[in-house]
Amino acid sequence: MIKILAACGAGVNSSHQIKDALEKEMKARGYNVSCDAVMIKDITEGMLAHYDIFAQIAKTDLGFEVKIPVVDAGPILYRMPAMAKPVYDAVEKVIKDNGLS
Amino acid sequence: MAQEDKLFYPDTVYVSEARTQNEVFAEVSKDLLAKGLVKDAFLENIMEREAGYPTGMNMAPLSDRLPNFAVPHTEVEFVNTCRLVPVRLLRPVTWHDMISPDDSFDVSFLFMILNDDAEAQVGILARIMDFVNASGVDAMVDFFNLDDPKSIYDYLVGHFPQRAE
Repeated sequence: MIKILAACGAGVNSSHQIKDALEKEMKARGYNVSCDAVMIKDITEGMLAHYDIFAQIAKTDLGFEVKIPVVDAGPILYRMPAMAKPVYDAVEKVIKDNGLS
Repeated sequence: MAQEDKLFYPDTVYVSEARTQNEVFAEVSKDLLAKGLVKDAFLENIMEREAGYPTGMNMAPLSDRLPNFAVPHTEVEFVNTCRLVPVRLLRPVTWHDMISPDDSFDVSFLFMILNDDAEAQVGILARIMDFVNASGVDAMVDFFNLDDPKSIYDYLVGHFPQRAE
């Protein structure tokens, strides 16, 4: 199971949209993905250690070094296939490059 | 198109002459609080949330004719209901970009999301974008220029998608 963390300011709406989109598309591409949606302020270094990929909406300073791959997932919010595809491709590249499964 | 779940209510559609973000938040929050739809700390939280994590949606990637809008919202604990609150800004107000927070632009419309259940209505933002994308540029330009609450309400009830695609 590949674990992705999505986050936004309120932990609702934006991050949930990222979560739903990533789970649906990555499943369609044949990957076993689970994505959680949280508030940015709740993210800790310990929490991130349990995930394989951090899908951020905007560039985010968490106050500590993020040691897992980060993907800018904001364009997914536009709900336009042409804008979302590069995000999905970036996630898939991280999965392949890191041998995640 | 009828709505299956009611997101819009005629008593919470606003047309504002506010000049700043905080002015429009104060104006709308005061009425929402009086109606019991939000909690006392809603105003403070939505201002804080917007300052830290802005919600402006830059429409330039879709069309340079589409007006920008924003989707301000708070954590669920500051809200007592689930509804979508349209706010037409008669004077464009500067907003920061959700995806590139250092960037800012004028917005002329808000879809303020009141969501008291993170799981029950996770598709509201997706439905806003589906509404914009499916309507076409000409229709959206006309919609974003409506300036009376009843016309805005009627249009949304007639055209807003029942669920995310």
